[in-house]
Amino acid sequence: MLEKKKLEEYLNRCMDSNADFAEIYEEKELSETINMLNGSVENIFTKNTFGVGIRLYKGLQAVYGYANETDDETLIDLIDDLRDALGKEEKSSDVTLERVEYENRHPVRIRFDEVSLADKTDLLKRANDAAKAVDERIVKVDGTLLNVRQEVQISNSEGKLISDTRVRTRMMVTAYSQEGNNFQSGKDTPGGGMGLEFFETTKPEDIGKEAARVALVNLVAKDCPSGKMPVVIDSGFGGVIFHEACGHALEATSVAKNQSVFSGKFGQKIASDVVSAVDDGTIPNAWGSQNIDDEGNFQKRRVLIKDGILTSYMIDRLNGRRMHEESTSSSRRESYMYEPTSRMSNTFICEGNSEFEELFEGIEKGLYAAKMGGGSVNPQTGEFNFAVLEGYMIENGKITYPVKGASLIGKGNEILFNIEKVGKTVRRGQGMCGSMSGSIPTDVGQPPIKVSSIIVGGTANE
Amino acid sequence: MNKQKWIDYALSKGFDSFEIYQNNLEEKNITYYQREMESYVKSHVLGIALRGLYQGKMASISTEDGSDENMEKLIATMIEQAQATTSSDSGVILEPMTTEEATKENRFIRPDASSIDKTFKEIEDKFYAYDERVFQVTDLFYTEQASVREISNSREMHVKDASQVQAVIAGVAVKEGDEIKNSFNVELLYDVNEFDTDAFVKKAADKALNKLHATSIPSGTYPVVIEKDAMTSLFTAFSGIFSGDLIGKGISPLKDKLNEKIFADNITVIDDPKNTDALVICNYDDEGYPTSRKTLVDQGVFKVMLHSTSSAMRMQMESTGNGFKQGYDSPVGVRPKNCCIVPGEKSFDELLEEMNEGLVIEGFQGLHAGINMASTNFSLQCSGYYVKDGKRDKSVTLITAAANFLELMKDAKAVGNDLEWKTETIACPSILFKGIAISGE
Repeated sequence: MLEKKKLEEYLNRCMDSNADFAEIYEEKELSETINMLNGSVENIFTKNTFGVGIRLYKGLQAVYGYANETDDETLIDLIDDLRDALGKEEKSSDVTLERVEYENRHPVRIRFDEVSLADKTDLLKRANDAAKAVDERIVKVDGTLLNVRQEVQISNSEGKLISDTRVRTRMMVTAYSQEGNNFQSGKDTPGGGMGLEFFETTKPEDIGKEAARVALVNLVAKDCPSGKMPVVIDSGFGGVIFHEACGHALEATSVAKNQSVFSGKFGQKIASDVVSAVDDGTIPNAWGSQNIDDEGNFQKRRVLIKDGILTSYMIDRLNGRRMHEESTSSSRRESYMYEPTSRMSNTFICEGNSEFEELFEGIEKGLYAAKMGGGSVNPQTGEFNFAVLEGYMIENGKITYPVKGASLIGKGNEILFNIEKVGKTVRRGQGMCGSMSGSIPTDVGQPPIKVSSIIVGGTANE
Repeated sequence: MNKQKWIDYALSKGFDSFEIYQNNLEEKNITYYQREMESYVKSHVLGIALRGLYQGKMASISTEDGSDENMEKLIATMIEQAQATTSSDSGVILEPMTTEEATKENRFIRPDASSIDKTFKEIEDKFYAYDERVFQVTDLFYTEQASVREISNSREMHVKDASQVQAVIAGVAVKEGDEIKNSFNVELLYDVNEFDTDAFVKKAADKALNKLHATSIPSGTYPVVIEKDAMTSLFTAFSGIFSGDLIGKGISPLKDKLNEKIFADNITVIDDPKNTDALVICNYDDEGYPTSRKTLVDQGVFKVMLHSTSSAMRMQMESTGNGFKQGYDSPVGVRPKNCCIVPGEKSFDELLEEMNEGLVIEGFQGLHAGINMASTNFSLQCSGYYVKDGKRDKSVTLITAAANFLELMKDAKAVGNDLEWKTETIACPSILFKGIAISGE
């Protein structure tokens, strides 16, 4: 990382222009991906990333440059290019940096780069063997262990100098099941913002077994019917409904320019009374947590919706200027190659009052989405979609048979009012969220919920 | 980076062969909002990837710091990787190979900042003048990228090529009453002085305006024409089925299907990295293996699978020159390059006439999540319009289309002649299908 004195010199050079704010983001990342197929280590790939991103603001204009050569000449050339884009002004800036110290909320006990590859491949082997042992119809098991250690240092013309180290561990197992020509798959992909101690509480064997279980369910699942119907969406990754249907549209990236269905809706009712929702980047060692956001502000817990009322957007510094609001510490980016913008962290619907069984009461014909996949949204129109990885039909209030090949679609601003009942226990699931500032780790979550009506896309027409 | 020093050191540490892959990328992006430059991004990134065969096992690593002080540490990490790898299908570091090289003229002329400024202000003004329902130009984005790829190895291979791309992207939102719809348009920008801003604006605005008053339709099975852009995105999502890597590992639905009929008679699929109609051509893949034209599916019959040296080794076959990386910082995988469904003879309008009544799908959403590569089942949000008497009728939205991809491709009734190479490395014409399950009201 660059020395304080050098950073001050660069920031002063940035500010000798029409810029009213300058920021230097430095990043060093080590990531390791180990892939195993049916017990054989197929591929190990190590990635070393190091680069610097420099950003200058002038009002609502932002210029950004990045490079991975950090010699004086390269960075000065880059700064001068950026200054030229905003217009140079002879002024004498005097940026003095002061390092901000704080207590790490996300300590790591077992660093992956201090553990042998043999020990790490053994974790995958345990998941592989457990999945294979579930049933002889599990014909292949594909497992990947991902370990990341990202160090960032952020300094700005307001005198802030702050660092953070983000560590992530994730195991992704896909089990393939086969019976005759029927070939299906199931997966489980848990992760955490911690080191390899993650596997002390989340056992590799359980990950393998869960992937195998879903693959076997899909082997006997029938085609899912189509049409509008009530849906019970289980906890954990089921929270992707809120992430897609609402979360993205509450990001300042779209709100600030009036490009969201929720622009101008602050303080208004946007969901049914039973819905409260939070974006919390402070949860210790969670997949989507950080000590600081990518503009160097301490992460926060943001109450987005309280009893159906919109109480907060997620705002970064630049969009905050457009909205005349303060940043909510929501600025994130994949790497130094991206300008940061407002993004989610760990986003979930809060606990409600309904028992699990109550969610099914009165449903004559509906869908129970036990496990969800990813989705996407158009924040301007609110139209969203997401995939069901494990589903069951509900008939006369009871779960009857498994179904496959379903997706759920709707409009975010309508679906939030259709959340009729919310269960009691929140669980979260891990995912990678893609948007303007790249692909970042986020948790989605919720208790089990009942949605009174949603379009289910399936292949069986009645 | 002193490449020879790194190669010599790796060989002295016991590597049988060693490769250095470099990608030098320069990029500039400019965004306008409300007639003002909102964002300007400039970058220069040199990425390095190292591969080496050590005691019969391949190790690979990427770095952005090729200074000599990193050499010993990175090569020690690679040795540890090779020792922990158990698969013996490691691929090879190749000797230099030759091929008849295709060439593609670089037609891109760099615009200066003032021409971009003038063009973007003109585009924004034309959007608002085009139709009073245009209520916001949401995005105006110019991007230029120039990259140079170099592969050098201890077996004296040296491959070097370069590519350049310039494009303009616009997003527009239209509003009528409370209803808002939006659309995006991407066009390559060869010469800013010859850029047809009227056509660009018309295409994006019409696309958004046509979505207004869209409604859902009752669930059922409908004949469909999947329009070329939507067909390209769907086919791209399933293109992994041709990967010899997945087939060799037994996790592609095409395992054991070579020489079997997998699609309808009218479907032929060609992969040709040297196709000069495509945006970027490659004479060699990312392992330095010469690329070639291959007919993957010939009149519905699966004839050729794609291979890198590693996947070919597993199946005791030859590489097809399809060992490509997703970026310098990813391992070599098996990927199609300039792959297309061969166009048929009917125009798009003739496909609609043949369908007479049914649905045109113009776009799929959620392709990253709503497909199952093992079973090839998919269920995807889509939009388009209804067709009556062979003509466009009402716009349709908030529906899903669900099917099994292999089954769907067997039901192709007619293939359009409207194949168009744009920014993607996969392209498809519009195709008329017998029926697809639609979920709506």
